[in-house]
Amino acid sequence: MAHAHSVKRHTGLMDWLTTVDHKKIAILYLLAGGLFFGFGGVEAMLIRLQLIKPMNDLVSAQTFNELITMHGTTMIFLGVMPVIFALMNAVIPLQIGARDVAFPFVNALGFWTFLFGGILLNLSWIMGGAPDAGWTAYTPLSTSTYSTTHGVDFYTVGLQIAGLGTLIGGINFLATIITMRAPGMSFMRMPMFTWTSFITSAMILFAFPAITVGLVLLSFDRILGANFFEVSNGGNPVLWQHIFWIFGHPEVYILILPAFGVISEVIPTFARKRLFGYSSMVFATILIAFLGFMVWAHHMFTTGLGPIANALFSIATMLIAVPTGIKIFNWLFTMWGGQIRFTSANLFAIGFVPTFVMGGVTGVMLASAPADYQFHDTYFVVAHFHYVIVGGLVFGLFAGLHYWWPKMFGRVLNETIGKWTFWFFAIGFHLTFFVQHFLGLMGMQRRIFTYLPNQDFDTLNLVSTVGAFLMAVGVLLFLFNCFVTAAKPKGVANDPWEDGRTLEWAIPSPPPEYNFKQIPLVRGLDAYWKEKMAGNKEMTPAEPLGSIHMPSPTILPFVMSVGIFIAGLGLMFSSEKFNNSFMSMIFNNWIVVIIGLVITFGSMLLRSLFDDHGWHIEPEELEEEGVKA
Amino acid sequence: MTTVEQHQDDTVKHGHRHEGPQKHVIVFIFSIILTAIAFASVMAGGVNVAFTVILLVVMAVLQALVQLGYWMHLKDKGHLMPIIFMCGGAFVAFTAIVTALYWVWW
Repeated sequence: MAHAHSVKRHTGLMDWLTTVDHKKIAILYLLAGGLFFGFGGVEAMLIRLQLIKPMNDLVSAQTFNELITMHGTTMIFLGVMPVIFALMNAVIPLQIGARDVAFPFVNALGFWTFLFGGILLNLSWIMGGAPDAGWTAYTPLSTSTYSTTHGVDFYTVGLQIAGLGTLIGGINFLATIITMRAPGMSFMRMPMFTWTSFITSAMILFAFPAITVGLVLLSFDRILGANFFEVSNGGNPVLWQHIFWIFGHPEVYILILPAFGVISEVIPTFARKRLFGYSSMVFATILIAFLGFMVWAHHMFTTGLGPIANALFSIATMLIAVPTGIKIFNWLFTMWGGQIRFTSANLFAIGFVPTFVMGGVTGVMLASAPADYQFHDTYFVVAHFHYVIVGGLVFGLFAGLHYWWPKMFGRVLNETIGKWTFWFFAIGFHLTFFVQHFLGLMGMQRRIFTYLPNQDFDTLNLVSTVGAFLMAVGVLLFLFNCFVTAAKPKGVANDPWEDGRTLEWAIPSPPPEYNFKQIPLVRGLDAYWKEKMAGNKEMTPAEPLGSIHMPSPTILPFVMSVGIFIAGLGLMFSSEKFNNSFMSMIFNNWIVVIIGLVITFGSMLLRSLFDDHGWHIEPEELEEEGVKA
Repeated sequence: MTTVEQHQDDTVKHGHRHEGPQKHVIVFIFSIILTAIAFASVMAGGVNVAFTVILLVVMAVLQALVQLGYWMHLKDKGHLMPIIFMCGGAFVAFTAIVTALYWVWW
């Protein structure tokens, strides 16, 4: 064999550290995302406990600021983003009939940079105080004048590294979806989850550079003494708000679009109907992405942009309700007349629809600039964005996890516990956040660590905290479900829901490492369903059985990320005054930064100098496995 | 089969259509001339500043188009996606800048 190369196969921990298999990276993303989601959840519980009664002193004002900052940052960047990437990694190559993503090495690199960025950010808790300037890190609050600990440095450097991972992942999925679709899968035959992930990846590509630049500027201000945001030296703090929201608003659509995709997969499957208005769904997704870049200033109505800017951004924002409304009606019409099965996945998907509409309606209310002067920085805003992010995205993620769990792990999650999860989570969610609308309208501000009694805030805050605990019970039930299910033997059918429509259900659960023995031929939208309706048991192959080229496992992505992590820490403490002379020597002379960069660039050099030819799985081996199965 | 796949198939079958060095030499000389004009217009001084700025921008845009089209192969088949994404990125960036300048700052 001309191309036969022996490859070292790792086992145990090394297998996970060196893997470039998209299915294993998906599980890594899920584990890491789950861990950070847990951190963010504990922070949320502490916030709600502090606010359970007036004049509470469970945590200090400073700790409260750190809690809200870390809760927001962790949940957005380290909690839900990786779970989205977990689903994208687990599902997209399968849905488009590919054997892996376009760049498996880069995929692993994206995960490890994200993880080390997240670890760096969370190290702040034990290294002198977490960031405390809010998840938006508005200047001048976040400049070194007003934020004297290293908290915000952890924010800028940690997010920079984690953002690198997200950008890498986004580019990888763009390349994968453009180039690796199975024969016959035109763009307008792509499953909806693949479509929304494609658009999300494009938005990542365009939006993340803005935050990258913003974080660099803020780091320069704080660490190297630049003056981009220092008013006293001619800087402009409002500039940060613009840069942050030019990224930040697309970011919320980056989050919600994959959830739209999940819902668009789950609802048709469990309604036994094709998705209503597929092409209008695609069009609406693109339109949402397009408009999402044109509305950032609606976060800044009260900064004094003037009536023209406020009016135009107001209208642009309200326009987004149109494509979103198209989607909502399409989901309703998909369910209309369908044979609906209320599985846990579908419960979350159906629960998503009204919950997300409520978040959308308050969104349109907030889009009205004059009204926003009343709502701004009150709990009304908090209620709104939790309705779209938790009631929208997290419901979508739970739906997706219940739906694709058998495909990822080969075991169906326990349906009874799943339904309890849904009811605890949904009821807890509405209890927590519905009342916050009214708290906001009555004048309770965001980000305050306590409040005086007898302002009508007492009861509603208590209700909100009780709701938060019900949500926590829901999440713990899900965790319990994962463990219970993990204890059961593997071996569900290819298509455990029996009504699977897309390609991932045509192959074993979990799929073999090469996914498809033969790349399938796609003959229409909902490719697998089409074959089923034609009376075929499986997909028609598009290629003869042959040897399959696989990427080799490698530790380099992990090492590269360790290097960036070390360099990041070195940069943060480069001007720190240490008591220890050795520490001063290595940090103040940039030696730590240099060591980190040498590790990263050294790994890149190794990767460039030694070609990775990958390895092959021969047809004979495929046959053997076929017999075993 | 769809058009995108046909594109891909074409590229696989024919590879890059090599037009020979002639065209590339011409494009290279054109690039140098563009640079020379830009350089000379600044060196000459004295000329109207506004005119120089406009001239420089025009030269820069032409230069970018030549570079992208010929040296980055965007004029060849199978480059539809890169073109879509570059135009998309440019559009987002330009609108953000123009919006910021005309609505927000003034």
